[in-house]
Amino acid sequence: MDYFLYLTQMCGIFIILAVGLNLINGMCGQFSLGHAGFWAIGAYTSAAFTVFVAPPLPGFIVLFIGCIIGFITAGIAGLIIGVPCLRLKGDYLAIATLGFGEIIRIVIMNMNSVGGPRGFTGIPQLSNLFWVYLWVVITIVVIANIVRGTHGRAIISIREDEIAAESMGINTFRYKTLAFCVGAGFAGVAGALFSHTTQFISPTNFTFMWSVIILLMIILGGMGSITGAVVGAIILTILPELLRFFGDTVSQWRMVIYSVILILLMMIRPTGLFGKHEFNPLKFLKLGGKS
Amino acid sequence: MNPIMETQAITMRFGGLVAVNEFSMKIGANDLIGLIGPNGAGKTTIFNMITGHYLPSEGKILFNGESISGKEPAVITQGGIARTFQNIRLFKDLSVLDNIRIAGHSRLSYGLASSIFRTKAFHEEENKLRAEAFELLKIMKLEHRVDSLAKNLPYGEQRRLEIARALATHPKLLLLDEPAAGMNPNETKELTGLIRWVRDHFKIAVLLIEHDMKLVMEVCESIYVVDHGELIAHGGPKDIQNNPKVIEAYLGTTEV
Repeated sequence: MDYFLYLTQMCGIFIILAVGLNLINGMCGQFSLGHAGFWAIGAYTSAAFTVFVAPPLPGFIVLFIGCIIGFITAGIAGLIIGVPCLRLKGDYLAIATLGFGEIIRIVIMNMNSVGGPRGFTGIPQLSNLFWVYLWVVITIVVIANIVRGTHGRAIISIREDEIAAESMGINTFRYKTLAFCVGAGFAGVAGALFSHTTQFISPTNFTFMWSVIILLMIILGGMGSITGAVVGAIILTILPELLRFFGDTVSQWRMVIYSVILILLMMIRPTGLFGKHEFNPLKFLKLGGKS
Repeated sequence: MNPIMETQAITMRFGGLVAVNEFSMKIGANDLIGLIGPNGAGKTTIFNMITGHYLPSEGKILFNGESISGKEPAVITQGGIARTFQNIRLFKDLSVLDNIRIAGHSRLSYGLASSIFRTKAFHEEENKLRAEAFELLKIMKLEHRVDSLAKNLPYGEQRRLEIARALATHPKLLLLDEPAAGMNPNETKELTGLIRWVRDHFKIAVLLIEHDMKLVMEVCESIYVVDHGELIAHGGPKDIQNNPKVIEAYLGTTEV
């Protein structure tokens, strides 16, 4: 596949992942490090559906069903992992979710029916730029609408002060679980789009490092800002690739330069590029839209 | 008249420490009651038991004749008990309006799907909630601050916002944990009037923990005094001021 097309699609997939994780980490304040696990679940279940079960329907319908399956299975995994883990706080939650993320990966590694450590091959390339960015729009609209309703305010109040939120009559556990499931579900969609873009997935695609990179995207963009998550995802997907084009020296040192840029950005703007602010294109173009 | 809230010999133990011992009180539907005592006497522990943050080791708490001990704090708030905190706990990075709207959460009934698809129910309920929030902010004299972040409000207004937020849950009993802490005499005076006015206007019961004796003696009709977790006196402001046990708890005894 064309390198630039592939990169653009990867940007979209990482936007979905980052916006989903932002609901969990940035909006609800629950520090999750298991996002790559949910991504893997979506990628594998949708790929298994397409390869083993899918009836002879047009490709885009199969992909759409695959995305829905990815959303549901990853969402259920989020529920199963979230219910015991979300009673933990802060660092403990991070470690527990990290553990579960790795468990998912290792379970897949030991499943021979989906290729095990050799990877899952022969997935048809059903995804394209249009479907990826359609899902990007769906993700952003759904999460932005949740956040600006009463359920979203409940989720944000947990980040601000959990004890006060409880005292305001908010069932904090329920809304933490909701945020966790929706975030995980969209990671599953990103997984479905990913497996049908690359046509080959293996457990090494979903290591703990990727959870960290998705987390970096939202920290860089600004925790709690959807706009920030989008911009963070674009920068962190493109930057390491972009550095290939500045001659041999830069190309060899690109991961070092990439790290230094990240360190500098965090020193100059510790709250991330956008902080908690949003850029609303409708408002910007004076087409209405109120807070 | 039946009390709206009643604690029956509630005891709270933390390991070997008895923080509150067999504390009993009754609050009528429109009472304004004070809870005082020296530092560490167990006043906030009593609050935390009433609001469900602690489960009493022994004893029962009745609200509207129903036992509420063991229920989740959120459920108790939905039932009609709201509180403020000793060290202000606002949603600091949210606007004043959002702080109030969050308190109205349990009154809204539209589902997640309505929120995602912006249905008619969503707009109707949100508009109603917004109007209610504006009205409450207006009577609490905070309407000029609607869009400010809670953390940017001056101290006195933050205290007032916390009371407004508690009122927005539509309580029948309001618990105020040291509302005058850190206030200057002018602000305290204003607060004194506000507490009385809130009680009369919303027709609710108020239970107040406070160290500012002037405020307590001025607004409370009945006062409970605790020391070392024990109830040592109960009565009107005049009785309390002259009660030898209370004077002893606050000032100590003379050693001969």
